[in-house]
Amino acid sequence: MEELRETDQPIKLKPLTVKKSAGLSSVKSEWLLKGLAYGLLTIGAVSMLIPFIWMVSTSLKTPAEAVAMPPVWWPSVLRFENYARAFEVAPFGRYFLNSVFITTVSTLGELFTTILAAFAFSKMKFYGKNILFTVLIATMMVPSELLIIPNYLTLSRFGLINTYSAMIVPYLASVFSVFMLKQNFESVPNELYYAAKVDGSSDFNFLWTIMVPLSKSAIVAVTILKIIGSWNAFMWPLIVTNDRMLRPLPVGLQAFTTEAGTHFELLMAASTIVVAPMIVIYLFLQRYIIMGVSKAGIKG
Amino acid sequence: MTEKATLKSTFKALIYMAPMLTIIMTFNIYPIFRSFMMSFYTDYNFFQNTVNSYGLDNFITIFNDAQFWLAIRNTFIFVLGVVPTSIVLSLGIALMLNKIKFLSSFFRSIFFLPFVTSTVAISIVWSWIYHGRFGLMNYFLGQFGIDPVAFITDPDYAMLALVIMSVWRGLGFNIILFLVGLNNIDENYYSAAKIDGAREMGRFFNITVPLLGPTTFLVSVMGVINSFKVFDEVYALFQSRPGPARSALTVVYYIFQKFYEENQFGIAAAAGIVLFLIILVFTLIQMAFNKRFVHY
Amino acid sequence: MKVTFDEVTMTYGDRDVLDKISFDIPEGKLVSILGPSGCGKSTTLMLISGLAFPTEGDIYFGNEKVTKADAVKRKVGMVFQNYALYPHLTVLENIMFPLKMEKRPKKERMQRAKELAELVQIGDHIDKKPKQLSGGQQQRVAIARALAKEPSILLMDEPLSNLDARLRIEMREEIRRIQQETGVTTVFVTHDQEEALSISDEVMVLNGGSIQQYSDPITLYKRPVNKFVAEFLGTPVINTIDLRADSLLRDRLKLSQNGHSSATALGVRAEDIRQVHTADQALFTGTVSHVARIGKDTTVHVIDGDKECVATDLDIVPEEGETIHLSAHPDTVHYFDGEGQVIRVGAAV
Repeated sequence: MEELRETDQPIKLKPLTVKKSAGLSSVKSEWLLKGLAYGLLTIGAVSMLIPFIWMVSTSLKTPAEAVAMPPVWWPSVLRFENYARAFEVAPFGRYFLNSVFITTVSTLGELFTTILAAFAFSKMKFYGKNILFTVLIATMMVPSELLIIPNYLTLSRFGLINTYSAMIVPYLASVFSVFMLKQNFESVPNELYYAAKVDGSSDFNFLWTIMVPLSKSAIVAVTILKIIGSWNAFMWPLIVTNDRMLRPLPVGLQAFTTEAGTHFELLMAASTIVVAPMIVIYLFLQRYIIMGVSKAGIKG
Repeated sequence: MTEKATLKSTFKALIYMAPMLTIIMTFNIYPIFRSFMMSFYTDYNFFQNTVNSYGLDNFITIFNDAQFWLAIRNTFIFVLGVVPTSIVLSLGIALMLNKIKFLSSFFRSIFFLPFVTSTVAISIVWSWIYHGRFGLMNYFLGQFGIDPVAFITDPDYAMLALVIMSVWRGLGFNIILFLVGLNNIDENYYSAAKIDGAREMGRFFNITVPLLGPTTFLVSVMGVINSFKVFDEVYALFQSRPGPARSALTVVYYIFQKFYEENQFGIAAAAGIVLFLIILVFTLIQMAFNKRFVHY
Repeated sequence: MKVTFDEVTMTYGDRDVLDKISFDIPEGKLVSILGPSGCGKSTTLMLISGLAFPTEGDIYFGNEKVTKADAVKRKVGMVFQNYALYPHLTVLENIMFPLKMEKRPKKERMQRAKELAELVQIGDHIDKKPKQLSGGQQQRVAIARALAKEPSILLMDEPLSNLDARLRIEMREEIRRIQQETGVTTVFVTHDQEEALSISDEVMVLNGGSIQQYSDPITLYKRPVNKFVAEFLGTPVINTIDLRADSLLRDRLKLSQNGHSSATALGVRAEDIRQVHTADQALFTGTVSHVARIGKDTTVHVIDGDKECVATDLDIVPEEGETIHLSAHPDTVHYFDGEGQVIRVGAAV
């Protein structure tokens, strides 16, 4: 794709290199500033990590170590059985599967609906396109908290309260994702679209064999943001489920705070179970997450 | 290039958009109107889905409800506590990250980490850190000779605890936005300023600060809007209560209580409308600003 | 396959991009559509391809009416200006794509794609991605892809304009070679007259949405039907001499006796200009303002007030500042009437 766009790019001038006119003092202060920056950043990074370290460390302690004062930084023996114990006290296996199921279905569903819609908005001509798009964008200004009450009533009319569907169906599409993908699809040159048509490809086929592979990184970004959002969702699943066996992880974890009582090592083990999958995804795919967040943030 | 919209192409596009539109209409657009309607229901039977009368009673009720005003007040305190602190810290960190090369993306990854993790899980971890007797926080304070504080159970400290955790959690997101803003400043400005004799500090105040203005504004407004919607943190940090003595009762928490715990649908909807209007004001300010100052 | 346009009109908004044009593109020929930008040549191509549809009129492929058939049904091959290669597919996959769309067996696809890669001399690069190829190589892949499904017609939209000058000449000859080897009916859109004249069997000159002239390249150059065609073709631009104010010249040319009484101007190509001895034999008398020598070519600019005449093939190259008299053989002089139409070519002085 790059070679098609190359000509549109303004020529980027290399920044001029200027000799440092000031002598030693400037170089010295430069080093001082950098040293200071590294120092402060290290302190900041450690503060960011402490809660995570503390969570994992507590999750591997004995009950006595967990509440010891002064605190025990790292347990003498790693008690992995705390995790097994957490699974015994509450059905975390079930919660975990629920979360995986809800996240998978709503992510795949959303991808399907939004890719189709984004394609229509980016490459098809139709009446009322601008008005419709403006209306959709306007809905992003409405806080989702406002929608909870009517959506609850709608789902209860359909008899869907306390089902997986209640947690999945309302999240099968997202204006935000349509917007992100539309932006990206538009950057795929029209000539490719025409070339594919001439080559005998239908719109639907073009979308999945050319457009989607070419927009891979945007689609991955949207997907990961959706997975994170879906995995961590709390208020809505809390409201629409009563049945313990339907709970996703965050709701189950919240309920566990009363079930675990003062067993902080169990509580922290359970928290680690909830947090760990997203951290793994983050470690492998953070490039896409950060890309998605910066694009989303800048477009508002 | 040469095609025009026709009935046929419109029909085809509608087929492509149908799945998305069905969901969005049912769960995003229709509920907006329904919420407005509901806020005027004064006599509603949930089981029969019948409305017996409409009126302004819900709004009159919430405006006469001390709890509602407390929720508004707490939410504003929360916003004022979180947003400026977060802006200052994240701007400082972004500038430092921009200055260094080595390990820059490593640090960035660490700062962003809380963003991907469950608010509930993280809030539970923090409530453990804030624990009055065994908490890490009190241990650290003890090292400086400060007496233990009951962050979670003392109404005077609950909001502070909430603010600290929220700043910690939101830092990475703001840092990313600031880094994008810094990246968009053309290197040539710095080169020109160097030639014009501006030193490090001079370049910072004459180029970085003014050119980062729009980003700062954007980050602030987004921070304000998101902070107005705080709920999960409160619910999980204070074990399903709005803080000790309602010291962390926020607007969304108020809506949640009215709706979920008290089944007062009309009142909850009215409070939702008020929240929407507050957020709308900030959204409109942002849009007006974007139109005037930001040229993409 | 033969392509026929029957009174085709294309309107955008209230603007006619094409105004009732009718023409045939004969089977197995290479036809260029030539004209300045905005003349409607790309629109014509889009209409042939089925990526756009006419507002009025009909299009036929052979005897079959295809006016309403879309690109998928028409089975045309198309080469785009920027090649439009699928960046995530290899060269071979790009060439195979149209065959995949036709659901041909994989083995056949593979074999056909390889043959085509050989035909366009890209056989050594079939596993590369488009990004790794030079402009000329990408062009070859685009041609192979367009030929893959044995198209009824091959369409080329300014295919050479993204190449540098030397490569452009090379690819021009390649396209000619490939067209002759395959015998596929080809429509070639360009704004470059040299390209059109050198490559085509027939050239269609378009301007302002209507056909100015449609003939073989030599006729087009030697016998333009109007002033637009005469001026659009040839470098340097044809010399035009205004006859309206010059009654002496009108008399000498015996315009009325020769049936040229309605002529308002005449045109002579720079290479047809000859030097004569006296002013009363001349079409143009003036001072040599500039003699430009570029390689083997010498171009002489002669001015008379604000009028200019350019000659490229004078037997004796004059000095700058010299006053000379210029004329031309009657057969090479074109007379234009008030509307710019050529009256009749070839008249005696």
